[in-house]
Amino acid sequence: MATLSSLSLVTTRAVANVPDTTVKVPYLNQPWKRVSQLGCRRMQAFRAVRAAPDGISEKVEKSIKEAQEACSDDPASGECVAAWDEVEELSAAASHARDKNKDSDPLENYCKDNPETDECRTYDN
Amino acid sequence: MEVSTVYTTQALNSTCSISTPAKTHLGSHQKQVVFYRRTTKSGSGGGSCVITCSAGDSQTVVIGLAADSGCGKSTFMRRLTSVFGGAAEPPKGGNPDSNTLISDMTTVICLDDYHSLDRTGRKEKGVTALDPRANDFDLMYEQVKALKSGVAVDKPIYNHVTGLLDPPELIKPPKILVIEGLHPMFDDRVRDLLDFSIYLDISNEVKFAWKIQRDMAERGHSLESIKASIEARKPDFDAYIDPQKQYADAVIEVLPTQLIPDDNEGKVLRVRLIMKEGVEHFSPVYLFDEGSTISWIPCGRKLTCSYPGIKFSYGPDTYFGNEVSILEMDGQFDRLDELIYVESHLSNISTKFYGEVTQQMLKHADFPGSNNGTGLFQTIVGLKIRDLYEQLTSSKTAAPLEATKA
Repeated sequence: MATLSSLSLVTTRAVANVPDTTVKVPYLNQPWKRVSQLGCRRMQAFRAVRAAPDGISEKVEKSIKEAQEACSDDPASGECVAAWDEVEELSAAASHARDKNKDSDPLENYCKDNPETDECRTYDN
Repeated sequence: MEVSTVYTTQALNSTCSISTPAKTHLGSHQKQVVFYRRTTKSGSGGGSCVITCSAGDSQTVVIGLAADSGCGKSTFMRRLTSVFGGAAEPPKGGNPDSNTLISDMTTVICLDDYHSLDRTGRKEKGVTALDPRANDFDLMYEQVKALKSGVAVDKPIYNHVTGLLDPPELIKPPKILVIEGLHPMFDDRVRDLLDFSIYLDISNEVKFAWKIQRDMAERGHSLESIKASIEARKPDFDAYIDPQKQYADAVIEVLPTQLIPDDNEGKVLRVRLIMKEGVEHFSPVYLFDEGSTISWIPCGRKLTCSYPGIKFSYGPDTYFGNEVSILEMDGQFDRLDELIYVESHLSNISTKFYGEVTQQMLKHADFPGSNNGTGLFQTIVGLKIRDLYEQLTSSKTAAPLEATKA
């Protein structure tokens, strides 16, 4: 079983308004993930607490809580298993969304649809 | 030499494209039916236009890819479509949450679209997506069969964001159809339609490490929740998904490395490519000579590698009662010349020029697994599929010519 004692765990989030979760969220040293992305997500936390859950990250968080509740009654039941499956599905969707946003360049996306605008014109000679 | 074949009306309903006469995009193995229209319908442009239809294009090659969620299917798909050229993108102008990817030669269909129960339905019944009861195998079989015989289908869309089944999208039969998901080989009717099948078998330790990398940045997740999620899904996975590996023509098995004693980081991987013998149009990759058992460490005088180095082995074996050949790589590539040295000693990799595997790996150096056996074997399997496609299409065009000769 993989033990993670060799990885450094950093809790950098200072969340004042997040509802009482006893589960800490450690960040691993992940040099391939841009620091700015983590920063943005931190900002989202402050904004999303008051708003109704929308957006995939909020869905993931909500589904994890629901799964933990469903499994507190009966860990082997169908509801518990289905709830964790939903967590897995949403985590996968969140990861794909992250990758898509990482790759997309706003200028390229705009130019794909509007190649004739001044910003997007290309000259070959 | 004239080849005349009879077309049924059903075949003519397949892909049609209106092209200007100058464009000849049809390859040598596509049958052509050409119409000339004088009268114009409103909105179709003035004058005469040539409508060319690829009628009865029954040469769609179907590939199946099975793996659990979070195991590298998307990465494999991107490598595979890249081998054939062009980037695969979601259908333009359609549902933005579509799971389908389309490039020039390939169309990738996600089998989650054939869920019969959406997320709320599954929660009510207490079944996971891994359970066959949540999937409509009859529809899957009908549509894959239709696409294989050259008929376009309206395929449902399963929206992973909302968890609902969206209105269907039109899928036109491509040259190569890839069906990827949890159950491509579960139903035997669908299994018989596959020309080639691959299973990605990730061991538990590696799966745990990959899911941690994927999910730890998500708010709400913790080590315990990731572990609980994996363990809750394990019974269904072992019962329904794992048995598919006995039917696969190629299995890519990913295990923790044996080169580092007591490794717990999971960065260095041991990857085994298990290739079934006797599969039509597929000849397994080998080292030195087919059928013999070899253990090879490329690092030495000609090549210096950094710790922990690279170790290869190859040999025949049996896997679930089938004769297989297993090519195994343990370790990581650090430099380009390691990769090219290894490639020059592998045989039967179906490359079109020296260094093609290395070039493909470098093209996608940012993909996960580009420095170890996962990327290497995925690229090699992609080239084998290209070889299989070329063999299948050339054998199909040879057949009608032979029939008219006789």
